[in-house]
Amino acid sequence: MMSKGVLVDVTRCIGCRSCMVACKTWNDLPPKKTTFSNTWDSPGKIDADTWTVVNYYIIEEDGQVKWRFVKKQCMHCNEPACESACFTHSFVKTKEGAVIYKPTVLNQDYCVGCRYCMIACPFGVPAFQWEKAFPYVQKCKFCYERLQEGMKPACVTACPTGTLKFGDREELLAEARERIDSNPNYYKKIYGEKEYGGTSWLYISDVPFEKIGFKEDVSQKSIPSYTWDVLKWTPYIFFGWGAVLTALRAYTKRRAEVHNEEELYAPVEKD
Amino acid sequence: MQNGKKWRFKMTPFRLLLIVLVLIAAAAAIYRFVYGLGAVTNLSDEWPWGLWIGFDLFCGIALAGGGFSTALIVHVLHKDKYLPIVRAALLTSLIGYVIALVSLFLDIGRWFNFWRPFFYWGYHSVLFEVFWCIALYTTVQVLEFGDIFFERVNCPSLKKLLGVFMTPLLIIGIVLPTLHQSSLGSLYIVAVDKLNPLWWSMIIPFFFVWSAFFLGPAMVTIEGTLAARAYNREPETDLYSSLTKVTMWMMIIYFIVKMGDLAYRGVFSTAFNGSYESNMFLIEMIVFVLLPIVMYATPSIQNKLSGVLTASILVVAGVVFNRMNVVFTGMAKSVGGSYFPSIWEWLITIGMWSALVLVYCFVVENFPILPKEEPVSHGKPFGTGFHA
Amino acid sequence: MTNSFPDYQNSDVFLIIGANPAENHPMAMRHMGMAKAKRGAKIICADPRFTKSAAKADLYAPIRPGTDIAFLLGLMNYAIQNNLYHHEYVVNYTNASYLINPEYALKDGVFTGLAEKGDKFSYDNQSWQYQKNGDSVKKDPTLQDPNCVFQILKKHVARYDIKTVSKITGTPEDIYQKVCELYCSTGKPGKAGNLVYAMGITQHTYGAQNVRSVAMLQLLLGNIGIPGGGVNAQRGESNVQGSTDLAMLYHLLPGYLPMPNAAKHSNLKDYLEKETPASGYWKNKPKFFISLLKAFYGDYATSANDFCFDWMPKHTGGDHSHMAFFEAMYEGKIKGFIAWGQNPAVGGPAAALERKALENLDWLVGIDLFETETVSFWKRPGVNPADIKTEVFLLPAAFSYEKEGTVANSSRWIQWRWKAVEPPKDAKSDLWIADRLMKAIRKEYQSGGKFPEPIMKMLWNYDIEGHEEPDIVKIANEMNGYVVSDGTVLNSFGKLKDDGSTACGIWIYTGYMYVDPELKVPACKRRSTEDQSGLGLFPNWSFSWPLNRRIVYNRCSADPSGKPWDPQRALVTWDGAKWINNDVPDFGYKSGDQPIPPQVSAATPFIMTVEGLGRVYAPVGLKDGPLPEHYEPVESPVQNIMSKQQNNPLAAKFKGDFAKLAQTSSPDFPYVGTTHRLIEHYQSGAVTRNCPNLTELMPEMFCEISPDLASKLGINPGDDVIVSSARTEIKCKACVLPIIKPLKVNGSIVEIVGLPWHWGYQSLAPGSTANELTPYVGDPNTRIPEYKAFLCNVRKA
Ligand SMILES: Nc1nc2c(c(=O)[nH]1)N[C@H]1C(S)=C(S)[C@@H](COP(=O)(O)OP(=O)(O)OC[C@H]3O[C@@H](n4cnc5c(=O)[nH]c(N)nc54)[C@H](O)[C@@H]3O)O[C@H]1N2
Ligand SMILES: Nc1nc2c(c(=O)[nH]1)N[C@H]1C(S)=C(S)[C@@H](COP(=O)(O)OP(=O)(O)OC[C@H]3O[C@@H](n4cnc5c(=O)[nH]c(N)nc54)[C@H](O)[C@@H]3O)O[C@H]1N2
Ligand code: SF4
Ligand code: SF4
Ligand code: SF4
Ligand code: SF4
Ligand code: SF4
Ligand SMILES: [Mo]
Repeated sequence: MMSKGVLVDVTRCIGCRSCMVACKTWNDLPPKKTTFSNTWDSPGKIDADTWTVVNYYIIEEDGQVKWRFVKKQCMHCNEPACESACFTHSFVKTKEGAVIYKPTVLNQDYCVGCRYCMIACPFGVPAFQWEKAFPYVQKCKFCYERLQEGMKPACVTACPTGTLKFGDREELLAEARERIDSNPNYYKKIYGEKEYGGTSWLYISDVPFEKIGFKEDVSQKSIPSYTWDVLKWTPYIFFGWGAVLTALRAYTKRRAEVHNEEELYAPVEKD
Repeated sequence: MQNGKKWRFKMTPFRLLLIVLVLIAAAAAIYRFVYGLGAVTNLSDEWPWGLWIGFDLFCGIALAGGGFSTALIVHVLHKDKYLPIVRAALLTSLIGYVIALVSLFLDIGRWFNFWRPFFYWGYHSVLFEVFWCIALYTTVQVLEFGDIFFERVNCPSLKKLLGVFMTPLLIIGIVLPTLHQSSLGSLYIVAVDKLNPLWWSMIIPFFFVWSAFFLGPAMVTIEGTLAARAYNREPETDLYSSLTKVTMWMMIIYFIVKMGDLAYRGVFSTAFNGSYESNMFLIEMIVFVLLPIVMYATPSIQNKLSGVLTASILVVAGVVFNRMNVVFTGMAKSVGGSYFPSIWEWLITIGMWSALVLVYCFVVENFPILPKEEPVSHGKPFGTGFHA
Repeated sequence: MTNSFPDYQNSDVFLIIGANPAENHPMAMRHMGMAKAKRGAKIICADPRFTKSAAKADLYAPIRPGTDIAFLLGLMNYAIQNNLYHHEYVVNYTNASYLINPEYALKDGVFTGLAEKGDKFSYDNQSWQYQKNGDSVKKDPTLQDPNCVFQILKKHVARYDIKTVSKITGTPEDIYQKVCELYCSTGKPGKAGNLVYAMGITQHTYGAQNVRSVAMLQLLLGNIGIPGGGVNAQRGESNVQGSTDLAMLYHLLPGYLPMPNAAKHSNLKDYLEKETPASGYWKNKPKFFISLLKAFYGDYATSANDFCFDWMPKHTGGDHSHMAFFEAMYEGKIKGFIAWGQNPAVGGPAAALERKALENLDWLVGIDLFETETVSFWKRPGVNPADIKTEVFLLPAAFSYEKEGTVANSSRWIQWRWKAVEPPKDAKSDLWIADRLMKAIRKEYQSGGKFPEPIMKMLWNYDIEGHEEPDIVKIANEMNGYVVSDGTVLNSFGKLKDDGSTACGIWIYTGYMYVDPELKVPACKRRSTEDQSGLGLFPNWSFSWPLNRRIVYNRCSADPSGKPWDPQRALVTWDGAKWINNDVPDFGYKSGDQPIPPQVSAATPFIMTVEGLGRVYAPVGLKDGPLPEHYEPVESPVQNIMSKQQNNPLAAKFKGDFAKLAQTSSPDFPYVGTTHRLIEHYQSGAVTRNCPNLTELMPEMFCEISPDLASKLGINPGDDVIVSSARTEIKCKACVLPIIKPLKVNGSIVEIVGLPWHWGYQSLAPGSTANELTPYVGDPNTRIPEYKAFLCNVRKA
């Protein structure tokens, strides 16, 4: 199976939030009690029970108002920071493109709940069940079980406007490029094409991405590759540094003739 | 002080207070296990790591850096004049690590899975390295401490056996902390574009390990002085003065590398853009790096106990400040939301550090930790005022 | 809608006025998006608020609530002045060339024929009529005669130049100019302008005239009957199209047949003679009406007994619309009320009074899914249940997914829906309830009654052995129409007879239950997505009334010679010898096997009107004038600058406590209030406020004020505020966003306050009801309340 993706065309979104409701109902996520939000986008942010939100942005430029509605969820990175950060292999990027959390999706419970994945994710996606005694990390799973059945994700199915388009990532990229090339209104960038090494979910928009909650000039290198650049030195440091220390110790020991190892741990003299 | 079987622990009102604090923390910890982290902490999805990780773990481990730096100086470089303080440093380090582990255990949501990482080779994760190193190093420290322990708890054969392994243990005991002290920094390499570039760097592991190392002598200075006070002994000012020279030189290098790194990454100017982050960074650099360097470099200050102590306090506070900047200040803007530890988080932290003090007192009073009189003696006998 | 949602892909320019489809008709928005993507269509949105639809528009025109007539007449003026109207269309397909009685005039803002009786005004429309030469109307195809409709219209709209329109509406001149240019660009042949409207247009004391303006503009620009064009009302409740088709209105019978009137129609002959026009398709009315009587009364209906015409309920000309009904209830004249799938305690105007009116009932039956505000009025905040004597029953109803049947959408598509889940517990389908109710009433009548025949002898044979539910297919077939002798289900109302040999419950639906010969399912169950024309007609998806026609008046898509205005978007084409049809033709195109040449149908392309033409001037049909004229809403912050006639003289008003209104430019109520909907909630919120997934998204009642007003009043986002009107006051949250901005109206600043009306005291997420503030006035034709423009005030709570 080709790696799947979703193209989110912000110009088409009407903020109907059917995708949010579909996500909650399909995934049996409990709705929660919220209060008035001036921006109309309660609950406003992703959490353990809300895997996707549509955030509203009002952009006012010389009296002109623009109002944009932007669905947010896990980006399903090509090389996920969450996966690389997890020292128990609790996240995995599947061949379908979904990045899933194994304890809940596959029932493979290795997670220790350290939340380093949350620190690692550049999009602030993984969320924690803070109120549970035995909490899990939660996030959009790209409706993995639906993908396996050849179905679209629940949110994509629910979207009335064609804002969300599901398909092979490569084909979506081509379509996204074609859309932004053929229409001068688009901002000339496909968010997710290169960001952090690329993501399965791709965005196109008619306003700069930084105005709709995305960081723009971010690394094009994947986050795992950063850590790996450092981690790969570990064995060298271990043995190299160990050898240096051993050598030094031997060398200085001969110099400090009087040095007596015993003395170091000799009992403290009695009164 | 005898090799006798009687354990001693003297109650004082202060110690009683500490015990009460430990008990409160223990109760809060139980509550946390039953009702989840949300019930006792102010942690959130924006701030998955708070006081316990930011302070107890990051700073605890850093402050315990005294253990491996003195070990390096004494056992590898064989600067024997520092021998007397090596046990105290080892002890605080060990207790520091135990605290870090306890706080980790409190902090992880699925604590019952704590053993899993041993079996799932998440070698691509920095945390994997941190986890293994800390776990192993704590073991090594326990073994190292075993040497002392078996002095007190008479068992010469075991002590002998340990002695055989002492050299590799000592080496590993330096290599491991080198790795994980740096890895604690590497943990934040994933936070590229999240952690403010004043702190984020591909060589953040160097900064972490380097600062953990130069912190050692400063820490020893403080602990030594404190212990001397508490046990009414003469502080070893000379020793501190010469030991912290190491700190000074390392800090100079630290500062130069830091500036070079900022310049290399083209973010030097952001240090002066007046933002909250830049101001915190400037404080970190000026008050906690440059100032102590100057103090250490000024003989009139360096050779006085109060001088060297003040500078050392600045160094220690500076490392804490740095870790806090990395964990909190530098992340705040990108993650949004706000975090301030809840009363319970504070109480548990305070309880843990209280436990540290209590354990330290207990061990010092029962084990041969503090130096023999001779190498540092200024004439006062060791004994009389020992019981704090 | 004249057109359908999938047809939107054919539009070049949309004018969304007084509708917010992004919020209320998201599926319509999908098709607008497709038009944008496919053909670079442009969207104009005219709304007092910068709505989600405005956010998708290329051009947003802010407009003061209640000034759409000026806005639309100004567009017509621009089209005429700049010769941008579709001349050939106007000359041939509208009544523009008809000459009008020279006595017709507009003076001081009122038309000739206005008379006052008591405190009520009405028009005698004699002077509005066509000039006649015997039976035929006088015309001037050159459109030059000063009494011809075109010249009258031209003169009428000339008063609405851009400056004047801007002064009235508050729409800045430059923006309005752009709207004019862009929308009038669709006046060219081959261009399609789609006018999308809804409650922002209708809910006014001149709502019907607003709708007229919409239709007139579309006629002038040649936008009716063509793909991508149309007068497209985004309808409301999911089956409100069905319910109006089926006459959930007191003055109509199913299929828009007029309700017999006791004074006017003493017998069948009377009714048929008076109600059947001489020309236009309505001349078939007797066939439809008699078939309806057959459907009602079955074998009892014979030509000998006028097909039981006497059993028909008749109205007396009185006003029995919502407001009049509640006024009567308030006065104690109504003793029992079945609130069947409605929640007036939240949805009705001056809701606090309507709730109070309920207290006068002896009994109230609610048939609903939830315990609505209406059925719990007796324990609403501020009343003592012990003081209220009304006996209240609540019958639990099944939700739409818990039963099967059809729903007619705005595209006039009648689509069968299957049951998805069983209703919970005791809940029953409305059909079940209706059936049992009828049977129970019949049982009561067994022991005698005043006029038992219509009840006892009505055809009511829907039982199926061993089933609880009535036979819904049988009912559907009866609505569709069948041959009485053998029950054959008919495929066209053309086959209905006025001799009693056919029965039909609603003639416009005929064919919807006819089994498709290829797909082998009744038409309304078809789900074929084939679309040979590529125009989004989807002829084999369900059934579009009438006769599965997707775009009505489609003769107008081609010029008089039968050549499509736009060959790329051809609905019907005369190829010189015959018609080639993509859609079901809305005109006589063949007689037997013989094609009817285009000249014939070109004369009467609007087959439903007597003239056979589109009316850019309406001599009949509306009570309040043959042409729309700008009036201020009954409550307005400003004087009418067009004339000294401040309000629609015929506006429906009510007495006593219902007469509380703010005076013009009232200092106590300086802002214009308007109510609107949110996507997360449906109507009175009875369902959606009980749905935790939706209350999570939209938890609390609020009012929207402009950042300017907020800073003037020292109100911060999320503050509690009090919104008051001449009726009462409510408390809610303040929403401060630049989606509302003050308008400059004739030199002064007018602030607008937007209020969603979805909240009430019941449910998981209760909140204040906007309708407590709305005025009790309405349109003289439709009686729809003026929910969209009234005066209010806001202060910090
Ligand atoms: N989610 C959702 N969908 C719905 C409904 C619902 O309650 N919730 N209700 C359904 C029903 S029954 C109906 S009737 C339709 C109604 O659908 P709409 O008519 O679209 O609904 P509203 O939001 O009441 O009004 C539309 C717009 O008119 C604007 N407006 C107010 N006054 C004026 C005016 O004087 N002139 C102009 N030009 N605009 C004005 C308002 O600001 C608002 O944005 O929606 C249907 N769909
Ligand atoms: N201020 C203001 N007021 C308005 C409007 C406005 O724009 N502004 N709009 C007006 C308009 S356009 C409309 S259509 C009216 C609507 O006014 P209402 O029709 O009174 O309001 P709804 O909330 O649609 O009421 C429908 C009721 O039917 C119930 N129901 C749903 N499904 C079923 C079913 O299958 N069977 C049965 N028996 N019951 C069912 C629901 O629970 C609900 O209580 O409100 C009007 N009120
Ligand atoms: S967006 Fe975050 S959670 Fe999702 S795959 Fe990427 S790193 Fe993992
Ligand atoms: S919280 Fe669980 S999934 Fe996340 S990094 Fe830790 S062990 Fe892995
Ligand atoms: S892909 Fe599935 S899990 Fe992810 S946001 Fe959509 S519906 Fe939710
Ligand atoms: S369902 Fe589609 S249109 Fe609606 S909010 Fe989600 S992405 Fe936007
Ligand atoms: S009728 Fe149903 S599908 Fe259509 S727009 Fe309304 S909610 Fe959506
Ligand atoms: Mo409606």
